[in-house]
Amino acid sequence: MFTEIDKRCSLAELVDLIHDGDILAIGGGLSSREPMAALRALVRKGIKNLTLVGSAHGIDVDMLCGANVVAVSNESYVGFEQDFGMAPNYRRACESGQIKVFDSCCYTLVQQLRATISGIPFMPMRSIRGTSMTLLHPEYQTMKCPYSGDELILVPAIQPDVTLIHAQYADQHGNLHIDGPPVADILFAKASKKVLVTVEKIVSHEELKSLGITIPYIYITKLSEVSYGAHPTACYPFYAYDRKHTAEYYCSASDAETFLTDYLMPYVFDCDLHSEYLDAVGGEPTLSRLAQWQTGSEQWQSLYE
Amino acid sequence: MNNTADLSECTLAEALIFQIAQTIEDGILAFHGFGSPLVQMALHLAKQTHAPNLILVAGATYGVNPTPDFLTPTSNDWAMDRGAECSLGIEELFDLAASGRMGRMFLSGLQIDRWGNMNVTQLGNDKLKLKLPGGGGGCNLSCDVNRLTIWTAAHHTQASPKQKPRFRLVESCDFITNLGHRTVDNRLRRDLKLQGLGPDRLVTELGVFDFDEAGHARLINVYPDTDVDIIRSHTEFDFPVSDQLTVTELPDAAMLKIMRNLDPMGVHRKEIRVQDQNRYFLLDS
Repeated sequence: MFTEIDKRCSLAELVDLIHDGDILAIGGGLSSREPMAALRALVRKGIKNLTLVGSAHGIDVDMLCGANVVAVSNESYVGFEQDFGMAPNYRRACESGQIKVFDSCCYTLVQQLRATISGIPFMPMRSIRGTSMTLLHPEYQTMKCPYSGDELILVPAIQPDVTLIHAQYADQHGNLHIDGPPVADILFAKASKKVLVTVEKIVSHEELKSLGITIPYIYITKLSEVSYGAHPTACYPFYAYDRKHTAEYYCSASDAETFLTDYLMPYVFDCDLHSEYLDAVGGEPTLSRLAQWQTGSEQWQSLYE
Repeated sequence: MNNTADLSECTLAEALIFQIAQTIEDGILAFHGFGSPLVQMALHLAKQTHAPNLILVAGATYGVNPTPDFLTPTSNDWAMDRGAECSLGIEELFDLAASGRMGRMFLSGLQIDRWGNMNVTQLGNDKLKLKLPGGGGGCNLSCDVNRLTIWTAAHHTQASPKQKPRFRLVESCDFITNLGHRTVDNRLRRDLKLQGLGPDRLVTELGVFDFDEAGHARLINVYPDTDVDIIRSHTEFDFPVSDQLTVTELPDAAMLKIMRNLDPMGVHRKEIRVQDQNRYFLLDS
């Protein structure tokens, strides 16, 4: 439990709490609320050999794979949906053997986190029996239910060392308000040893309480105010998904070398400060373009054309 | 599409959306997952036509009965959640399926076999040759959801680098991510006492299949521009053909309006291959 009154720290101090070889759960999902600024800081810090657990992810996991900081992936999905397609860095890392890949699936992960949250070593399930997932995961066991006699599969508890979340609001004590789908963030927060958070805005406790508390402070280790910390993924209501920047990312990721020279150098390694990153992606004009979704349906659509 | 105001013909994509929508029963809870605009459109089409009591759960946002103004290129976008009556949590959504309360789900694969098994994990049996994005929650849902609709807009074979055609409907999946009617160790699905009954439709851009008593895909519909021989030549496994084989029904003009209104940017056309972008079907007037 984390009881510190004031948990605020800098982004660099926040990611210093993540260590080589950690099991890392990344919050958010697909093109929304990924803790991208923290992940870039993690890459700059030179982290190594992460094990990733997660549900549905995209540019966040792909960037970590392209920066060669991942040793094992237990993700359920890593891709850019129909928008751009398969995740190029992730694919290369899996196919070359650079990372060991043990795909999971969303409900299996949910149950494995719930086991940890409930303090029990496994959870029984009916699903995934009969699929190749059972061969990929020899740690899953089958048992005969002592009550019904039905065959069930047992999946072991998962406890991430660290969960990294980007939320809209927090108070300095660490209470969080997540606007929109929390995806697996609440489960991750309850199951992890440490929970590190970046937020768009730190507000007073009274203001946070009026917004509603999605995750209580007791789970939160440290937090850092990083506005636009999810860019280029969306963090509504502040900004929409930056499809234009993601297209540039995707193009640069076509091979490992150009990803280093055309993406990691200019947007990660050359930007020690988050403000330098925001300048590199176009500064104020880019940021106000991404806020224009609020002005109407046509303006919102124009972000994606 | 050349002219969205022309309601005398539909595109291939619109015919596919209509076919998927036809599989959706009124009053059930159905979930569309992510990365599948054709399915997103089919659920909205069903709800606005024959299935007004459908509990429509949007993938990625888990919003219930949203009324988006337009389809977005990625699915975890607030635009897809506009007007939602309420929202479910990730564990709640999967619990509903695990406890037998999700009526239908929609799944696809880079490989689909005769039993409706699907692979979205990897190509290569022993050694990984091509890493696919992975199935999200599809593996769990394929076991738990009452009924599954399988769809693909890429049944037509593609030439591979070695000039051997690459099938989508394959003799055998390199990896079974989503379960159909036979297990990876060749057991019958029904012997596993799973919550769900498995796939009952396979909708492709060449034809429509149901699944017979044995759980084997059986051709029931062709399109106005396809026939059994064409479909056989693009399918690696042999399949039975229904005695009542017919040409697919097509959507009507009112349905076309609903579909075109929902996707002004044409996001769903990304699921259709280039060679199929100009397939149109004339509607009965």
